[in-house]
Amino acid sequence: MYEYQLIQATGFRNYGPVEAREGVEVRLRLPNYRGMRLSLLDGVDVTIDGEFFSYEINKLRLHGEVYDLEAMRDATTVRWAVGDFGSVLVPKAGGLAPGIHHVKVAARTRSPYFPPHLQPLPVNGERLATIVLP
Amino acid sequence: MAGQFKYGVSLYSYTEDFGSIMTLEDGFDHAADTGATGIEILGETHVECYPEPTSQWLDRWFGLLDQHKLEPTNMCSWVDTKLRLGQQLTVEEGAAELERDLRLAHRLGFKFLRPKFGVIDAQLTPDPIWSGAVERVLDLANTFDIVICPEIHSPTPIRHPAVEGYIDFIERTGTPNFRLLIDTGIFQNRPLKGWQHEVPEGDSDHAKLINGIAVDPEEFLDIAKYVAFIQAKFHYINDDLQCENIPWDKIIPVLKRAGFDGYLSSEYEGAREPWVAIDQVRRQHVMMRRLEAEYDAAHADTAGA
Repeated sequence: MYEYQLIQATGFRNYGPVEAREGVEVRLRLPNYRGMRLSLLDGVDVTIDGEFFSYEINKLRLHGEVYDLEAMRDATTVRWAVGDFGSVLVPKAGGLAPGIHHVKVAARTRSPYFPPHLQPLPVNGERLATIVLP
Repeated sequence: MAGQFKYGVSLYSYTEDFGSIMTLEDGFDHAADTGATGIEILGETHVECYPEPTSQWLDRWFGLLDQHKLEPTNMCSWVDTKLRLGQQLTVEEGAAELERDLRLAHRLGFKFLRPKFGVIDAQLTPDPIWSGAVERVLDLANTFDIVICPEIHSPTPIRHPAVEGYIDFIERTGTPNFRLLIDTGIFQNRPLKGWQHEVPEGDSDHAKLINGIAVDPEEFLDIAKYVAFIQAKFHYINDDLQCENIPWDKIIPVLKRAGFDGYLSSEYEGAREPWVAIDQVRRQHVMMRRLEAEYDAAHADTAGA
């Protein structure tokens, strides 16, 4: 089951070799009320402790596969279903220190039935989340 | 008595609960306990492994229907015409989206399919592929005895080119398998309080969605013969069992006068918080049933004559 919030507490962690962390993972629940094909997600903006990381550089891991923005836009047959977790991979050399961090995300979701000027619409989440291990 | 409503619940009502604090089993329990006889779902939300559920899931689905004595009413689907950035679906691809969902709806026992077509402009004109795509699957819908019904949803009013287009299609094809679905949010005539919507503040649609587009319920009579299903959208029923945004005391008598005897399927879309919808849906059912009973009592003599 999901945590209610878009940003999940579990799954917030550093990634890459322990001695040389490459970045931070932010685990999300599906940023939509319906399961969707991944091409309808146009990347995810992330802000950690005030530092902004654009949807153009963040990647997404879903079902063990990693997608950059271009791959996401091409993923017309991949489904992000209700119940699946997706982890945004935020490139931040060295990762984050253990402790509490302020995390904001905007998952840029396209809904074809919304008027063109409202696509994508950000699905926003913001919370304090805890990095446990360096 | 002629023209009795059927009462249903859409699991969409429990959007803020489903997946975090509510399972499918819980959703069925809450829906059935309102006394509803029908259940509505979103294919992409409530069907595990959509669009190809496992046989175990299908057993679970039919077990829940049996256990709770609920019939599948409407399955909501999407025709994602902008699946690819900057490129529209072709008519054939649109038809394939519809066929995928007709087949699933049929497997699950649904009698209505609501496709949400992508739009091409700020007036919410459906992508023109819709008619060709629907025409290609009409025979299949007929074989499955399913009515495809696009949704008339705020901020699109009843008097709108999109609605005219759908009615022209019904008249031109003579099909019994394409009708309208009315979302009662179009009748909203008082503003939502403290409501969060994904449409940003300042956008021209934001004010419409917050304040309502206040379609006169009487206009329903003009299109009643084309309407197959009603999503009973609501946002807040207060402690006096009054809906604070939608004039149900005007809507119910109009539906009765039109002889509507289909489903009123609850669709709660209020505060985006968990643990709110369960009781809100119950309140709405009390309110709607009361209004129907009052109408029937007031017209008992006429009905018996």
